[in-house]
Amino acid sequence: MIALVRTEFVKAAFRTRTLVIALMLVGLPTLIVVAIKTRGNRPGRGDNGEGLFRLAQQSGLLVPAAVLSIMSAFLLVVIAGLLAADSVAGDAAWGNLRYVLMRPVGRTRLLIAKAAVAAILIWACVFVVAVTALVAGLIAFGSHPLIVPALPGTGGSATAAGFQLAASTVLTRVAIATVYVAFGFTALIALGTFFSTLTDTPTGAIGATVGVYIVSEILDGITQLENLRYGLPTHYLDAWQPMFTQNVYPHDMIAGIVVQLAYLAVFGTAAALWFRRKDIRS
Amino acid sequence: MCSKETLMSDGPVVAIEGLTKRFGDVTAVDTLSFTVERGQVYGLLGPNGAGKTTALRVLTGLEHPTAGGTRLFGTPVTPGCRELIRVGAMVEQAAFVPQLSGMTNLKLWWEAGGSRLRDADLDGALEVAGLGDAVHRKVKTYSQGMKQRLGFARALLSRPELLILDEPTNGLDPGEIREIRGLISRLTEHGATVLLSSHHLSEVEQTCTHVVVMNEGRLVADGTVSDLIGSAGSVYIEVDDRERAQVILREVPGVSGITTQGDGLVVDQTSGSRADLAAAIIGAGLQLETIMATQRLEDAFLDLLDATRTPPPGVSGAEPVGEVAS
Repeated sequence: MIALVRTEFVKAAFRTRTLVIALMLVGLPTLIVVAIKTRGNRPGRGDNGEGLFRLAQQSGLLVPAAVLSIMSAFLLVVIAGLLAADSVAGDAAWGNLRYVLMRPVGRTRLLIAKAAVAAILIWACVFVVAVTALVAGLIAFGSHPLIVPALPGTGGSATAAGFQLAASTVLTRVAIATVYVAFGFTALIALGTFFSTLTDTPTGAIGATVGVYIVSEILDGITQLENLRYGLPTHYLDAWQPMFTQNVYPHDMIAGIVVQLAYLAVFGTAAALWFRRKDIRS
Repeated sequence: MCSKETLMSDGPVVAIEGLTKRFGDVTAVDTLSFTVERGQVYGLLGPNGAGKTTALRVLTGLEHPTAGGTRLFGTPVTPGCRELIRVGAMVEQAAFVPQLSGMTNLKLWWEAGGSRLRDADLDGALEVAGLGDAVHRKVKTYSQGMKQRLGFARALLSRPELLILDEPTNGLDPGEIREIRGLISRLTEHGATVLLSSHHLSEVEQTCTHVVVMNEGRLVADGTVSDLIGSAGSVYIEVDDRERAQVILREVPGVSGITTQGDGLVVDQTSGSRADLAAAIIGAGLQLETIMATQRLEDAFLDLLDATRTPPPGVSGAEPVGEVAS
């Protein structure tokens, strides 16, 4: 299995697109930090004043959380979709898949290896973003404790008390947030791998995967759907943010992990069953 | 190429048993059956759409049969089955990961199967590929011929006991085609078995000992190349007593006509083989000086296709011929 993962990793990682992605993942956090540092936080420019970006100007330790909050909303979704949905379909499009499967290689093992490589790469992407943002943030804003001011409660009647987080606490929570964001792509990897087994056209599989996420985001915005929203793969993706804005470890993070694992079980099983029965025609 | 232990312990190298493969309403392969024994070089012939590649895909575990099945070395073929380690295959175009070098492609493909690199015949395969330093270049810079040679090298990495080749000389120049023919001959001398699908009838005629002809998914003929050529046409014979030979040959089953040509006779057969004619002549005490087919494989192939083509609705046509006697 290790050999199979290694070969799939080399095939997926040693590509020009990997270099382009790496440059984006290093460049964008740096650009964001430079923008915040030079232009400051202006009311009405996408940050309501209490958000992570305003807080991040106090301490560079919080910059990774701020950067992840926007990059995990779309760019990292596209990258994860690309990595997962291209895994089988890309190999099929090259015509290489049939040669791999003419070896004594179990199809389920191959699928697991491909999904594992997609997961390894998206975790690496998230960590590159976090580390880059941390380095840039420390250079720009230093490593100070975080002071969160009192926030107006909902309806304006109650007021949430302010609090202070030590630098070590901020760093620990940033690490937890980074792991949670990376784990939040589990459902996407499962969906992408499933779609990848359905077609020999990588662009179709990538489009379907990212499309499901966009639809999920739209549905999640419709509050009338009530409990149905809790089963959407995107519903709990931002559940980590109250660690910094409300000084709590949210129970929603546990729910988010459960939802991700459920999608992994359902679509991972579906992908394996389909791939085992599939005629390789590419 | 293979150990004596494996040589002695298995059934036929390839056994296709009533194989049927349908895609929706289309029947690509229809109750196909034939076997390939060790050391044989089997040609798989048929027009486009005959079902040759589909049969090879099922044989290599890429596609699932609708009915019937296939065996390799006596073991039923399933996707990723263990017996595939004994098979080298090139089905349709050779394909690789384009952004990696030829060498990296070979190594990764080998290691993906869980095998150690030191067990691969890398030097031998690279010699076959004949790519020189280009083997370290990215495959996306290769010509089709270079890819095809690298594909051949990949098929040989495992020192295969069975080589399955689907149109292996596509994209190769005449010199390379000759090299491939020589290579196949050398492999069979070492005990390897070859199943070769090709549109080049002359290639099959020169390379193969046996041939299977398919048309519209069905088996049309199965036998030795010489039997196929002899069975579907005419045989030229020279004997010491031409008049007496005519009398004897008219009694041989399957002989439909005899005419004189030069110093010999041209015998038309609807069935039977050259061996039947030779046996009759020698059995009668005549001296057989020459016996040869008057047509090439191409003629026999086209005759077989004409005889077995399904007529359009409302038009009566000939029935498919049976298996050619070996």
